[in-house]
Amino acid sequence: MNKNRLALTVGLLLIVLFALMLFTFQVRQTEVALVTTFGKPSRTETEPGLKWKLPWPIQRVLKFDNRVQNFEGKFEETQTRDGYNLLISVYAGWKIKEPTTFRNAFADGATARATQTFEERLRSEKNAVVGRHPFSHFVSTDPKEMKFAEIEKEIEEAVKKSLLDSYGVEISFLGIKRLGLPESVTQKVLERMKEERQRFVAKLQAEGLSEAQKIGSGADLERTKLLTAAEAKASAIRGQAESDAAKYLEVFEKNPELALLLQKLSALEASLKDRSTLIFDTRTPPFDLLEGSKVKTSPATPK
Amino acid sequence: MEKNNLRIGLVNWLILLAAAAVTFVVARYVKSASGLVAGILLAVGFLVALVAFFQMRLEERERLEKLEFDELNRQKGSTNLFSTDEADTFAARQSREMFEKYFVRVFAVLLCAGTGFGTWWLWSYLGTAVLDVSEERSTIAMTTTGLFGLILFLIGKYTSGLARLDDQRLLRPCGSYMLFGAYVSFLVAAALALNLIGYPRYDLDLARVLLVLLGLVSAETLLTLVAEIYRPRVKGKVARILYDSRLVGIVGQPESLFRTAGQALDYQFGFKVSETWFYQTVREKIGQWAAIWVLVLIASTSVVFIEPGEQAVLERFGARTGGLLEPGVHFKAPWPVDDVYRFKTREVQTLNVGFVPKDDDHGKTILWNVAHYKEEFNLLVASRESGTTNVTGGVSVPVSLLTVSIPVQYQIRDVDKFAYAYANSGEMLEKVATREVIRYLVGVDLNEVMSTGREEAAKNLLSTIQKRSDELGLGVEILFVGLQDIHPPTKVAEAYQGVIGARQEVEARVLIAKGYAIRTVLMAEAEAQQKINDAEAFAAQRVTGAAATAAKFTNQIQAFNASPSVYPMRAYLQTFAKAIGPARKYIVTTTNSSEVFQINLEDKIREDLGDVYIPATRDEQRAQQLKQQQQPQMPKAP
Repeated sequence: MNKNRLALTVGLLLIVLFALMLFTFQVRQTEVALVTTFGKPSRTETEPGLKWKLPWPIQRVLKFDNRVQNFEGKFEETQTRDGYNLLISVYAGWKIKEPTTFRNAFADGATARATQTFEERLRSEKNAVVGRHPFSHFVSTDPKEMKFAEIEKEIEEAVKKSLLDSYGVEISFLGIKRLGLPESVTQKVLERMKEERQRFVAKLQAEGLSEAQKIGSGADLERTKLLTAAEAKASAIRGQAESDAAKYLEVFEKNPELALLLQKLSALEASLKDRSTLIFDTRTPPFDLLEGSKVKTSPATPK
Repeated sequence: MEKNNLRIGLVNWLILLAAAAVTFVVARYVKSASGLVAGILLAVGFLVALVAFFQMRLEERERLEKLEFDELNRQKGSTNLFSTDEADTFAARQSREMFEKYFVRVFAVLLCAGTGFGTWWLWSYLGTAVLDVSEERSTIAMTTTGLFGLILFLIGKYTSGLARLDDQRLLRPCGSYMLFGAYVSFLVAAALALNLIGYPRYDLDLARVLLVLLGLVSAETLLTLVAEIYRPRVKGKVARILYDSRLVGIVGQPESLFRTAGQALDYQFGFKVSETWFYQTVREKIGQWAAIWVLVLIASTSVVFIEPGEQAVLERFGARTGGLLEPGVHFKAPWPVDDVYRFKTREVQTLNVGFVPKDDDHGKTILWNVAHYKEEFNLLVASRESGTTNVTGGVSVPVSLLTVSIPVQYQIRDVDKFAYAYANSGEMLEKVATREVIRYLVGVDLNEVMSTGREEAAKNLLSTIQKRSDELGLGVEILFVGLQDIHPPTKVAEAYQGVIGARQEVEARVLIAKGYAIRTVLMAEAEAQQKINDAEAFAAQRVTGAAATAAKFTNQIQAFNASPSVYPMRAYLQTFAKAIGPARKYIVTTTNSSEVFQINLEDKIREDLGDVYIPATRDEQRAQQLKQQQQPQMPKAP
């Protein structure tokens, strides 16, 4: 009996629990709920908490995430006003503003389908906006030329209008996520970058050669200047020496003949220092001794 | 009583049919794998209950027929005992026998084949089909399956009890399948509940478990069929029902397992273990203990441990309530009233901009011309050099490409914003950071950002990413933006490295030139100094020599005055002897002045064998010395 009572209690508890689950639903902080009665939207629950409803199939509850959702479009090639092909992808934050419109637009509010639809809309608007701007509005070192933020705003405004009315979705913000160039253009840009570097290398090498040559020639100039100055100074010293030495010549005037003889003898000695061949006859003193003649005792002055 | 059994049999198969159909539809509706398999299991139960019902009806007809026959026999007495043909008399019994002999066997074979094929097909289907349980519809499905589980449980309990008490063997498979279906429905409801609280994978796990059970039912039916072939046919012994599964009976009525286990223990120990106090207590209380365990499990959801480095938010019926839960123990209402969501607010998290890191990139040298990440993107960067006019008359793209790898480190600063403002705040931050990097690069010059502007770029990016995150309310604090790699793409990296090589070459050339200059100037200075020194030496020699010569001459005058006739000759001969010493000399001693001499004065350019010096022997040297000593000495010049 007790066992049956327990089983009955448990059964009743379970029935109450299931009934509660049939008649209530939770709305989380991150959700917004749409209650439909026989398929027709009857009310929207935006505040979180426990809510009442009639059981299925009378009422159905569709819950949507009310947080800002991430969206990122494809990295797509398009053309700028001045004819440049540009790859561009945008990202956006969107949230469901009108659940009823959203639910009507996408069966049971399928987010995947919604994303696909946004992509289609966004591509169209994005390409239109990009086509109105020259390339320099996207990439430039000139702040006056650059219109990056303005382009983002233009795309956002264009998409915002169409999405809220048609799909009950609000775009919170939109930005350009990536910019790029098509592969063929990328290759050309890379080649140009290479050429730039090579030109720079050639310039550097020429500068180096020029600098080295300047330094070398400067050194040669300095050398010449130094040697010339030294030569001049040496000449002056030598001249002064000659001048100083000339003072001592006066003494030779006391006996010029002797002086000349002595000078000749010095010159003779100096001139025979290197290899020389001399041919004498016996008349040359002291070889006159070889003639067998008597040695002269009288002084003789060599001529 | 038998009529009642028939009614119960009818109710059984009707409820099983309804349960199977509803479970199947609901499973399709919510795309639940476990619901799908449960529907199949309930459909098997329905077929078993239906066959059992027909068999019950045949048995009922047979019973009535036998009663009629007995009544007839009493009225007629024993005179006509052998007058009636048995085949005509027991038509109902024959029908029942024919049913059991053919239909039940064929049904058992089909059941075995059907469940076997169903197991194989569903197993392969679950492997390929995408069955993502819809969260929004889970509540409805959970409620429906739970409700049917309850109905199946209550009626299944009643049927099983009735089958046991009245020994209604045909009600037993119905009761077993009802209870089995009830537990399966509860499990499916539980899997859907887990899906609701964020554990969707249990649905598929449960589906696989149920499929294994379905396969076991098939195997068991096959074994029963084989056993039926070799079963000894003993008259009066009731054959086992072919479609009655023991496995389903054990799962549907676990208490039967207790009975079987008790019997096994009794047999093993040799006394009635099943009648002991312990066994009886366990058998009676196990349900209560299980209930208590479930209650404890639910109560355990009232205690939350927040780990160090974490913060959590509390939601009551989905609504954010109270302050942040800091690390430590916290109490809350049990699930599903309160729920806690944790966030690692102290943990430094990193996102990567411009590259996808490799799984393992430790200990490698990072070079510009070798890709060092799994994926690297070429980002556009402005170029100060204006576009040059190309051959088509257009202007070439004034843009360069750059490879960057920028790790952005952040912490969650405001949990409420991080958790509730965005569906995926981390992913959104990655997009925002990438946008800011792109925006920065398209407005700066390539060479600037790679060299002098690098530090400024990091500061600028940190500031702009933080500012934008605050504007969007992401609730994060940017701790670090690192420009760890910022260089030209790998394809042009060598050209950039070539510049560095060229710079080195230029430096080398300049250094060589400077070395030459230093050497040249120093040598020139030395040479100049030498010239001056030579000149000074010359001057010193000249002046001193002149002075010395003058002094010497003064003395020579005195000598000359002392001996005017001899002194000149003496001076001449002294100088002559000294001067002609090393010279080659020819002295012509003839007195004939008309004699002509021819003397070859040319030098030998090369020496020949005759010029080789042969050293003298010791004896020859001695003889030569003696000869020299004997020769008269040349008189010295005066």
